[in-house]
Amino acid sequence: MKVHVKLFASTADLVGEREVVLDLPDGATMADLRAVMVARYPRLQGVMPTVACAVNEEYETADTPLQEGDEIALIPPVSGGNGAGGGPFTGQNE
Amino acid sequence: MFAVTTDPLDPNALVEAVRSDEDGAVCLFYGVVRNNNLGRRVLYLEYDAYVPMAVKKMREIAEEVKQRFPITAMGALHRIGRLEIGETSLLVAVASPHRAEAFAACHYAVDRIKEIVPVWKKEVFEGGEEWIEGHIPTPQERQTAEPSPSSASGRSA
Repeated sequence: MKVHVKLFASTADLVGEREVVLDLPDGATMADLRAVMVARYPRLQGVMPTVACAVNEEYETADTPLQEGDEIALIPPVSGGNGAGGGPFTGQNE
Repeated sequence: MFAVTTDPLDPNALVEAVRSDEDGAVCLFYGVVRNNNLGRRVLYLEYDAYVPMAVKKMREIAEEVKQRFPITAMGALHRIGRLEIGETSLLVAVASPHRAEAFAACHYAVDRIKEIVPVWKKEVFEGGEEWIEGHIPTPQERQTAEPSPSSASGRSA
């Protein structure tokens, strides 16, 4: 099955592409996809442990099964906003 | 109003989009590009984003904020591409009947945006450039409060 893998920020720089297409065996999971990406693009090895994955625009886990035509995204640690920092206010409500 | 765009952000349009006649307060947050970080002189920033997912996550955060705070409406705009010092990268506006909830909800919303919305910035400073690797969302943080039916992935692990 073919899946599309979108790359951003540091992962796009390391691979040199914004999107690649992988042909994976049926039943492949996100963990399999990560292994295939590192084998094909060894420069990803160092960053892969901190990279989250999304399947069809939703965060997913290692055992998520993939399907033909899925849109995968490798998501390095996010850093939007202005970077002004400040305490994690969100934690106070937990 | 939710958007991720290369165009300059318009705070007045965002305020008008969230404000209604029941509201006594609108809290508007500006995230602005500053000229220094980690002791380095910053020249400009380059933002990258997974645009459709970023917009979707901002909408989900607004639903989560509405469940936690008695607010009327929320909107968020993120700018991407090259931003110069002093330009606005993020606008978040929250409208509510009273100011205390507007302040608290806006603070919470900005923190959540920085936790889970897939946007990245590259800092170009004197002598180099670097992607600023920020927050790694935990599985718990990735969950927004109550995904609306339209945003559910429909996929279970």
